[in-house]
Amino acid sequence: MNDRRSAMGVLLVVLLALAPRAAASQEPRLTVLSGIYRAQVEAILDSARARDLPVEPLVDRALEGASKGADGERIVGAVRRLYGELAVARDALGVRSRGAEIVSGASALRAGASAGDLRRLRELRGDQSLTVAAAVLADLVAVGVPADTAIAAVLALAEVVDDAEYIAFRQSVERDIALGASPTAALGVRLGSGAAGDALLQSPAEGPNVPGEQRPRERKP
Amino acid sequence: MDERDPLIDRAIETLREPVRLDPSMDQRIMAELERGPAPRAGTQPLWAAWDWLRRGRSVTVSPLGGLAAAAALAALILVGQWGAARLNDSAPPAAALEAAAVQFVLVAPGASTVTVVGDFNDWSATATPLRRAPGDGLWAVSVPLPPGRYRYGFLVDGAQWVKDPAAPPALEDDFGRPNSVVTVRGS
Repeated sequence: MNDRRSAMGVLLVVLLALAPRAAASQEPRLTVLSGIYRAQVEAILDSARARDLPVEPLVDRALEGASKGADGERIVGAVRRLYGELAVARDALGVRSRGAEIVSGASALRAGASAGDLRRLRELRGDQSLTVAAAVLADLVAVGVPADTAIAAVLALAEVVDDAEYIAFRQSVERDIALGASPTAALGVRLGSGAAGDALLQSPAEGPNVPGEQRPRERKP
Repeated sequence: MDERDPLIDRAIETLREPVRLDPSMDQRIMAELERGPAPRAGTQPLWAAWDWLRRGRSVTVSPLGGLAAAAALAALILVGQWGAARLNDSAPPAAALEAAAVQFVLVAPGASTVTVVGDFNDWSATATPLRRAPGDGLWAVSVPLPPGRYRYGFLVDGAQWVKDPAAPPALEDDFGRPNSVVTVRGS
């Protein structure tokens, strides 16, 4: 009898002690979703945690859907799709990649880049963060630059520009497009001027005038 | 067939003889037991403690006692989590220190309300309202944002989603209402 009481007491202690932790693993912001869809999104979040993928972008996507009045199935589908992109991006960029890099990598995948493109970008950038480079790739595609051209441009710049120059490059292209230039023409013009462009176009005789096929210049100090 | 080696017969007979023990043997054994194990030089208290720790115990816990112990344990965990949260709060991340004021502007002359809704405010439709400038249809708000890339849109009159005409569009549009992107550079 005493043994049974002891066992029940210990069980109670363990259950009550674990309760706060179990509650903490639930995402409180997802109360905007109805029961079954919330459970499905929570399951995806659990999978992301188990694979050490960033969870916040997944929560963010669910909140976006709820805020925009999307139905539960569509929200779950969007979260699941993003989860897949994050997983592919992380595998391509390496297990040591940071959360922001993985998120930008996922955006680049959505823009049309492949896992191989991300791996190549990692090789070219070395120890530098890929966050801005991958985000610029996605942004260029979003403003109408064909995906292949944007990928080639970002890869070509990878060894010769820093993050600030990547952003300046993207802003210049966007400005040219806003002024009426075609996205491809704007990209070509901006690649052909400035330090990065000079590096790309320094010896036209050595190869075709395609950004992705130019010989990279030595990395800046 | 039944013939046996006389040597084996003698061995059997010898083994069958009862063993005669020394009558004082019992007394010597009991005296040894009473003395207990031989002390280990210099470590007796340690070994005693070790023996005490290894010995099994019966513990009786009433349901009320179990609940009290569980509540105490849960309280300890919560206090620990609260303390960790306070430690985190007291040391803001570097990114938070470098937050830059980003101005969101929309021209919407006929609007009654405009809010900016994005991943920096958990897509709250009410958290970040824009203020109307007097005399025209210009709405604006300044939001401090740490370095990063943010997706957002404007919500006009609580119902109409409008992307920022002054910002690049976001590629990800899973819900049929396009977003814009703002990139905040680090220092």
